[in-house]
Amino acid sequence: MTDIPLVPETTRPLPTLGSSEGLISWVASVDHKQIGIMYLISSFLFFVVGGFEALLMRTQLAQPNATFLSPEAYNQIFTMHGTTMIFLVVVPMLIGFTTYLVPLMIGARDMAFPRLNALSFWALVFGGLMLYYSFIGGGAPNAGWFSYAPLSERPYASTNGLDYWALGLLVVGVGTVAAGINTITTIWKLRAPGVTIRRLPLFVWMSLVNSFLIIGALPALNASLVMLLADRMLNAHFFAPAESGSAVLWQHFFWAFGHPEVYIMVLPAFGIISEVIPVFSRKPIFGYAFVAGSTVGIAFLSFAVWAHHMFAVGLGRPWDLIFGASSMLIAVPTGVKIFNWIATMWGGAIRFTTSMLFAASFLITFTIGGISGVTFAVVPVDWQVTDSYYVVAHMHYVLFGGTMFAVFAGAYYWFPKMTGRLLSETLGKWHFSLTFIGFNLTFFVQHFLGLMGMPRRVATYPDLPNWGLLNLTSTAGAFMLGVASLVFFWNVTASWRNGKEAGDNPWQAWTLEWATTSPPPIYNFDQVPPVKSRRPLWDLAHPENPDSRPRKPKVEQTDQ
Amino acid sequence: MTTTALEKLKHIEKNTLGMALFLINEAVFFALLIIAFVNFRNSVKSGPNAAAALEPLTTALFTVALLSSSFTIRQADKNLERKNHARMLAWLVATIALGGIFLVGQGMEYRRLLTNDVTISRNIFGSTFFTLTGFHGLHVLVGLIMLATLAAFAFSGGLKGPKSSGMAAISLYWHFVDVVWVVIFGIIYVWTAGLIKF
Amino acid sequence: MFNPDSPQGLAISNLFVLTLLIAAGIFLLVAGLVVYASICYRRKPGQGEPYQNFGIPKLEVGWTVAPAVLLLGLFGVTFVGMGNADPAVEKDRAPDIIVTGYQWWWGVSYPQAGVISANEIHMPAGKRMLVRLIGGDVIHDLWIPRLGRKMDMVPGHPNEMYMQADTPGVYIGACAEYCGVQHSKMLIRAVVQTPTEYDAWLKTHSAPAPAHPDAAFALRGQQLFQQKTCISCHAINGTAANAQIGPNLTHVASRQTLAAGVLQNTPENMAAWIKNPQQIKPGSYMPNLRLTDDEIKALVAYMETLK
Ligand code: HEA
Ligand code: HEA
Ligand code: HEC
Ligand code: CUA
Ligand SMILES: [Cu+2]
Repeated sequence: MTDIPLVPETTRPLPTLGSSEGLISWVASVDHKQIGIMYLISSFLFFVVGGFEALLMRTQLAQPNATFLSPEAYNQIFTMHGTTMIFLVVVPMLIGFTTYLVPLMIGARDMAFPRLNALSFWALVFGGLMLYYSFIGGGAPNAGWFSYAPLSERPYASTNGLDYWALGLLVVGVGTVAAGINTITTIWKLRAPGVTIRRLPLFVWMSLVNSFLIIGALPALNASLVMLLADRMLNAHFFAPAESGSAVLWQHFFWAFGHPEVYIMVLPAFGIISEVIPVFSRKPIFGYAFVAGSTVGIAFLSFAVWAHHMFAVGLGRPWDLIFGASSMLIAVPTGVKIFNWIATMWGGAIRFTTSMLFAASFLITFTIGGISGVTFAVVPVDWQVTDSYYVVAHMHYVLFGGTMFAVFAGAYYWFPKMTGRLLSETLGKWHFSLTFIGFNLTFFVQHFLGLMGMPRRVATYPDLPNWGLLNLTSTAGAFMLGVASLVFFWNVTASWRNGKEAGDNPWQAWTLEWATTSPPPIYNFDQVPPVKSRRPLWDLAHPENPDSRPRKPKVEQTDQ
Repeated sequence: MTTTALEKLKHIEKNTLGMALFLINEAVFFALLIIAFVNFRNSVKSGPNAAAALEPLTTALFTVALLSSSFTIRQADKNLERKNHARMLAWLVATIALGGIFLVGQGMEYRRLLTNDVTISRNIFGSTFFTLTGFHGLHVLVGLIMLATLAAFAFSGGLKGPKSSGMAAISLYWHFVDVVWVVIFGIIYVWTAGLIKF
Repeated sequence: MFNPDSPQGLAISNLFVLTLLIAAGIFLLVAGLVVYASICYRRKPGQGEPYQNFGIPKLEVGWTVAPAVLLLGLFGVTFVGMGNADPAVEKDRAPDIIVTGYQWWWGVSYPQAGVISANEIHMPAGKRMLVRLIGGDVIHDLWIPRLGRKMDMVPGHPNEMYMQADTPGVYIGACAEYCGVQHSKMLIRAVVQTPTEYDAWLKTHSAPAPAHPDAAFALRGQQLFQQKTCISCHAINGTAANAQIGPNLTHVASRQTLAAGVLQNTPENMAAWIKNPQQIKPGSYMPNLRLTDDEIKALVAYMETLK
């Protein structure tokens, strides 16, 4: 057993996807940049699939008592939509950014385990394909993205859909864990000289914490899936109440994974925001230590709130109280971040590129989602609104208005680094405006629907006053989002071919990834510049006022 | 954490760190299976429960085998450091043998249970028992395969010492599998099957 | 839920309005700051790098502590609100009503009066009823927004809660836990009556169905009911039918809807339902029994006698 060798050092530039030799070099690649880009591409492809499913649902829901989709089809589609978006879109998309950026940001040549990295990616692809194979293999899963037992047990779900669901997620899950291990080891072992833990870019910080969340939470899902599969395939009884199993246990197990998972879906997004806002405000992040520290706080708390998804189960007063309290508590470290980001903008010289537009509106839309999250923590309110469209509104505000907005901000910000070309700002602003309007149109009205009594996961609904109108509005917004996405994809393909040349550092940013060429060579750096502070490139550009110079008291000290 | 522990953590070898992180993942995985077992320990309505189906004393015997294998692999580690190739190899083989004994013991236990119609689908005890111990057994098996690869590598002249990241990672894994068994044995056999009455 | 008609519902509604006000305040603060910063701190042409401010710890502690204090207050209100919204159930009190969720219909029984019904909860106005919730197969959830909290019906984990409505009328609700194909067609309604009406209702409904309907045509319907396997799923008290797989039909004609709120209960709809349930509610556990129109007519006539 010798150490796994790193990729052989070559000076060839990254091959393009076009040539056949190029294609093979991508498929067989163990280079973190290629794998990162493949992660991003495949998760955007899955985003189109999941988005298409959303459009089908919204078409069905545009009018009361519609029959565009049969109830059975609708149920499969919302299950696949949720599962796809969470496991095949958001999580891998963020891992894609992590895989691409972390080694560059810490001045390393690759991930710690390059082959494991490739394995993670291919596990995602195969898991995803396995999940989608269910459509041909006898019916897609239809028990929702959290597959509550006993509905997910064999007697109530007799097709093989749920087996594909569990097996597919198991494969994806193993890959995700591997990615988490890889990221932590990379950050721990491969930092360039001078890149101390307290000088890590915040994106790296968040990826680090996120990876710990992954290895703490994903095994809970994997274990639950194993037990569910044992029930389904070997006739075991873990979650079958009729045979002394427990339906409630599944919920505890699933959410012990499921809640940390929602932070797995947002922490790297916070990291992206923490890179984008300072650069376009021309100021360092306000209160580095608070932003990094609050992340750790969120990570710990996230393991202590799972039962807030179970307030309606009737666990008893003490449980409800404790989990209500811990859920409120988690608003505090998140709020710290929001205020620190605003303070970073404050007194800056802001340039509203598309990236910054997404980042700034993230602050607003994510806050809406966060606050509706806090209304659930007021337990009696949750007793009313749980499992209604109010929850659907909450999760899309945090997932789309939060994570996806951040992802778009990151895409406009790092696309030049990945491809050497800038995305079109004109198209970008169209993309932003359509997304912003379409998003709020789609999901804001869903708050009202929930409050008016519309349960979630209904294939159709009765014709009650205003329900039709609000749903129609939501559908219109969804199609606007579809158009917005088309603009984005057009922008990406067109700019990749013949966008404006970006140069090494188009945004005059400060972190190490901008110190190399765009796109970076296979070995990443000719020479890693000296790192004496959190912003090595600022120090180089401003020798008269470097961060590494000791600062007056009152102002936070940069780590020496 | 003391500074030395922190220092050590800072310089931890890459593969060992990777393995340690992987084991955190495995620990959570087993924790859930164990929680399920404990949760259902009194839920059996028909068919045997742990006390009726298991023979804790027999199991205690092959538990001893597994536990001693933690000792033997430690010896192998030490001899690797001392560059004592032959002894290292011997201890490694001993570890494999002890692990093998454990697996055979578990296989015999399974056979006895299955012939008495205690299966994973018989009742909730069967479900939780076989899933938990089965996954542990699987981990032992994987450990044995890794150890065997290591031994083969040593036979063909590799593993000269004083350090091997493969050896370090695998022995960490092996210790982990042992510790998990101690917990499982304690819960299933000592507590619920009543090896010791509380 | 903004138009509550029970003390429990009112407690939640008030709590929600309060929370909403706080939420609106925070939202306006955050959005205001973002918009203000976006307008006032745009880069001006020719502007150099701004002052590099690395943070002001005091300020940051401030915006850590302030939300924490606010939330502590909110937690206090939550604590009190929980007591009002879902009063603790007295020990040893027998439930007034038992609601059992089945795949896509509700069994409703009144154990003290010996009434078994379906898809409709009758309640006397102004009286607190103890409702026990049972999951008959998978998890369902009883949610009548104007009457307060929802609660899951989990197999193997029965729940109890108080329900109350103050004014007579009909309150509609739905199953709020995804439970399979026809989850969207699993509606329920609470029919709230004055206490005297309610007592009368209980009385008529505790009576069994007549052993033999008067009209000859209906009598034929009754025979068909026994021949055509209806009897293997449905119970009609006072007759040989006592199966528990489908809704109890002893007083089916007096219900407002059919098949868990999907159809108005009219003879035409009844005929349509019996003719082909799978068309009206695909996936429902009542099969299409391929009856002739005549048979259906007779069955409907019989059903209509079951007031
Ligand atoms: C990115 C993913 C993400 C994030 C970040 C969050 C964040 C939060 N979520 Fe959310 N949540 C989901 C994804 C997410 N959620 C999903 C997918 C579901 C549905 C699952 C399903 O059923 O399918 C869900 C469901 C869900 C429920 C269950 C609802 C139900 O089914 O009944 C609850 C209950 O407590 C909850 C709470 C919270 C809270 C308190 C936060 C907090 O972290 C929010 C904190 C942020 C803020 C509060 C805003 C900023 C703060 C300030 C400006 C400071 C000042 C604020 C105050 C003093 C209030 N969420
Ligand atoms: C990150 C996660 C994420 C994202 C981005 C989205 C995006 C969207 N979601 Fe989704 N959603 C979830 C996560 C997500 N969702 C989850 C977890 C659930 C719960 C599932 C469950 O209950 O189990 C859910 C449930 C859910 C529901 C509730 C279903 C129900 O309860 O019955 C609805 C209903 O409106 C909905 C709508 C949408 C819409 C309109 C979008 C839009 O934003 C999508 C916009 C994107 C596109 C439109 C893609 C672009 C595609 C093209 C441009 C191709 C066009 C091609 C052709 C037209 C051929 N979602
Ligand atoms: C295999 C079982 C089965 C058989 C046989 C069956 N039913 Fe049903 N029936 C059901 C179920 C289940 C429902 C509830 C359907 C739902 O709402 O989803 C139901 C609902 C009904 C309802 C509506 C009750 C209500 O309160 O809404 C009527 C009326 C009815 N059945 C009459 C009949 C008649 C008449 C026959 C014989 C011709 C019959 N059923 C045969 C299972 C059955
Ligand atoms: Cu019953 Cu949903
Ligand atoms: Cu949560």
